[in-house]
Amino acid sequence: MTTSTPRAWWKTGVGLVLTGLMLFPVYWMINVSFTRDQDMRATPPHLFPTNGTLDGYRAVLDQQLPYLGTSFLVGLGTVALTVALAAPAGYALAKLRPPGGPALSFVLLIAQMIPGIIMAMGFYAIFLTLGVLNTLPGLILADTTLAVPFGVLIFTAFMSGIPDELLQAAVVDGAGQLRTFWSVVLPVSRNSIVTVSLFAFLWSWSDFIFASTLAGGGDHQPITLGIYHYIGNNNQQWNAIMATAVVASIPAAVLLILAQRYVSMGVTAGAVKD
Amino acid sequence: MPSTTETTAAVRDQGGAASAAPPGPPPSRVRRPSRWWAWGFLAPVTIYLAAFYAYPLYRNVELSLREYTVRSFVQGGAPFAGLDNYRTVLTDPAFGPTLTHTVVFTAASLAFQFTIGMALALFFYKHFPLSRTLRALILVPWLLPLIVSASTWSWLLNSDSGLVNAALGVVGVDPVNWLTSPGWSLTSVIIANVWIGIPFNLVVLYSGLQAIPAEMYEASALDGATGWQRFWGITFPLLRPVSAITLLLGLIYTLKVFDIIWIMTRGGPTGSSATLATWSYRLGFGNLLPEFGPGAAIGNLLIVLALIAGLVYIRIERRQQLR
Amino acid sequence: MTGLSRRRRLAAVAVIALAAVTTSACSSSADDPTDGGAYLVWDPYPQFADDSDWVALLKKCGTSAGVTVERTGYDTTDLTNKALLAAQQGNSPDVLIVDNPVISTLAEAGALTTTDDNKLDVSAMEKNLLGAGQSDGKTYGVPIGANTLALYYNKDLLTAAGVDPATVTDWTSLTTALTKVKAKGKKGITFSAIGTEEGSFQFLPWFWGSGAQLTSLDSPQAVSALTLWTDWLKQGHAPNSVINNTQTTSWQEFATGDYAFAENGTWQLANAEKLGFAYGTIPIPASAGGPAPAPTGGEFVSIPVQKKTGRYETSQKLVTCLTNADNLLTTDTTLSYVAPVAAVQERQATADPKLKVWVEAVRAAKGRTGDNLGTKYPKISESLWTAVQSALSGGKSPQEALTAAQSAAATR
Repeated sequence: MTTSTPRAWWKTGVGLVLTGLMLFPVYWMINVSFTRDQDMRATPPHLFPTNGTLDGYRAVLDQQLPYLGTSFLVGLGTVALTVALAAPAGYALAKLRPPGGPALSFVLLIAQMIPGIIMAMGFYAIFLTLGVLNTLPGLILADTTLAVPFGVLIFTAFMSGIPDELLQAAVVDGAGQLRTFWSVVLPVSRNSIVTVSLFAFLWSWSDFIFASTLAGGGDHQPITLGIYHYIGNNNQQWNAIMATAVVASIPAAVLLILAQRYVSMGVTAGAVKD
Repeated sequence: MPSTTETTAAVRDQGGAASAAPPGPPPSRVRRPSRWWAWGFLAPVTIYLAAFYAYPLYRNVELSLREYTVRSFVQGGAPFAGLDNYRTVLTDPAFGPTLTHTVVFTAASLAFQFTIGMALALFFYKHFPLSRTLRALILVPWLLPLIVSASTWSWLLNSDSGLVNAALGVVGVDPVNWLTSPGWSLTSVIIANVWIGIPFNLVVLYSGLQAIPAEMYEASALDGATGWQRFWGITFPLLRPVSAITLLLGLIYTLKVFDIIWIMTRGGPTGSSATLATWSYRLGFGNLLPEFGPGAAIGNLLIVLALIAGLVYIRIERRQQLR
Repeated sequence: MTGLSRRRRLAAVAVIALAAVTTSACSSSADDPTDGGAYLVWDPYPQFADDSDWVALLKKCGTSAGVTVERTGYDTTDLTNKALLAAQQGNSPDVLIVDNPVISTLAEAGALTTTDDNKLDVSAMEKNLLGAGQSDGKTYGVPIGANTLALYYNKDLLTAAGVDPATVTDWTSLTTALTKVKAKGKKGITFSAIGTEEGSFQFLPWFWGSGAQLTSLDSPQAVSALTLWTDWLKQGHAPNSVINNTQTTSWQEFATGDYAFAENGTWQLANAEKLGFAYGTIPIPASAGGPAPAPTGGEFVSIPVQKKTGRYETSQKLVTCLTNADNLLTTDTTLSYVAPVAAVQERQATADPKLKVWVEAVRAAKGRTGDNLGTKYPKISESLWTAVQSALSGGKSPQEALTAAQSAAATR
């Protein structure tokens, strides 16, 4: 049983230190978000925002909240579309191995190498013709390109580990290909689905280049564009920029923690079986 | 109810362990008519690829083969230039150093990201109080827009008012010009990039670890294997497919990185932290007068590098499957 | 048998997906600019939200021209690419406001109309400011406001160091002042020498102030200007961080109160009022004394080429409205800029005497793309900032760096 033995708490201590180290730059961002302009470049730097200011947060809470909603919708849409496209493909490449499959994986590899800005320029032309510039579906379609190749490769790597006997058993039970995929392959691949979803969400959440090129002129702007309210032509309001980043991270971080809980639950259910 | 949990659990546990699965009956794949099915499953992604990647890729190749000026970029009619843009780039005195920086940046980033990510994944493998929350928190850097995380790093590494130099001062080390001296700038952007890449490696490797059957460990524990032996004897070989894909994806993402470097140093001072990706960006978009042709040519050279890596990966994979 | 129906089901899914795409396509095609309707305005002022004076002014000008205005603020570095891309796709906005050196690039691309086509009246504009929007005798836009560089100083610090800012009139007296400040344990001067256009912009007053010309980057005068900066770094008068400083970073350094001088622009005036110490401004001195010519900054309003040329008439009304005297005054006050029209400059200086220095500085300033450099300027500028970076980071001597810069600028 993995209840809190002293050894486990000792690991918690180490874990806290490691996480602290990893998150130090994040702390610094929070620190700057509270700092007045005149203290931003103090030498030596202030470790805590003594004489802090809430100006940054005031600006953000006044102006930025609608953007968060857009980012969420785009993130969730991207996750759904990515998994819908990548999971079946991963299954086919891993288990059905059609001729031409390796070539497709290869194309997926190349696809990820196209510079984001070139992709964005291509999308601009396509979206203009389709009329989906400055719309949510447009941004979701574009952000999905960030994660689909990744998703297919990850699904292929993980699904190739599903024992063939399991699939054969399903076929013997009379299940067709779709049923096998839906009720055998997908449930078994929950871990990789969560992994892919996680990254699809994170990528779309932090995407700037697509948002700027394809949604810059619309009513549906994600939070990454909100930051540009504080980056003027000659001047940048750093406390507000950092405050935006902090405000934008909190709901997403909560979501991450919940998602991790869900993965771990699945995993513990497996570990507890004996 | 308990029986269903048991089967799914057992199945999950075996995921990812195929390459080392005991050589049972030869894998007679799920009936033959499945070829049509296979392409049915692949159809959505294929259509998506054709619709949304083909055109940008074509654009990138076309840009590199013509002599584009701003005028012909807008008005059309750029003359065909063959491989001139490639020649321009390859004979540029900056090409050698930039290629070296790209290789160093990529290799160092990958090595550190992977090692640290693996160490953290192993650390978090056994549950302890707060482990899930901490593991989720480590992902937070990924939520930040790159302009924020890269700016934060350049803040910390500032020569005069940066925290890192202040900390070095406390222990009596002279300040280092992290971002402003040609000798350190590459190191600085590597540090920031490693930091950004750790969560990716941690998450993928962690999911890989979860898929290793617990029985494997139990068996080796009976044999009296030490933790170190267990890692090299079981974990590492079973994790190989996932490790390979992590490294391959890491390689591709790292080759492509430009925003972190661009925001922190603009590739400078004097090109000392420029990689092929930042060079391409500078030529094509980071300039008042864009040079799309050479910029796109560098982009395509990067694609070729990634292709080579992909070929190597596929070869290794195939060799393992044959075994 | 069941396989067929399943395949059909798959096909149905694909059709639905396509339908979803096309439906959303139809619903949003209304804001296509070529269909008439709203007039699109793009500007590099993302800091102005929809409830700002700037957007209110745009709407008001739209109303008086009888059209609705849809405005988008883009990050300034992003706007150049976006404008080129939109021009390529025939999707340009009706009115485009961009940073002045970009005008020559967009004009070269054939993306902008000239005053001959759009009938804009630019006669009231100051000649030195208008220069950045002209090439080969054609005018491609109207300045909406100008800014330039000067030296901000920390009064308290200079008093403590025994320096009278009025005595700082040439490079020697400036360096002497820096030495005195350093003797008091404070820091001398901060500026921005980053490896982008911003770095060239900040170096140009010293470059021109030495008597050097952009057509000859390796002249002895140019070397003397770069030597001045390099020596400041070596002697600790300027911090090493300037190599990577943006103008905002260097302003933050000045705001700490540790620096005696900062080279910065008109746009910082509003922030200067928030400083925790008394400040003043002096013109950047030339090598031999007197004010050095500083480069002009600021944005231009232009009318991009449209397929439907009938739209120019309304666009022209919009631009005329934006650049009439009263509106220039409002806009340039919110931006902390100097107006491009002499009469409005007078009104600004009367309203706020602190602006007098800046009005004079703007009048003495030079356009970067002027001297008929046009689209040669970007290459020259890139060579110049590279030279500044390599000299300041110790890679090359000022002479070597500028010789390399000249040959790079000449061969391209």
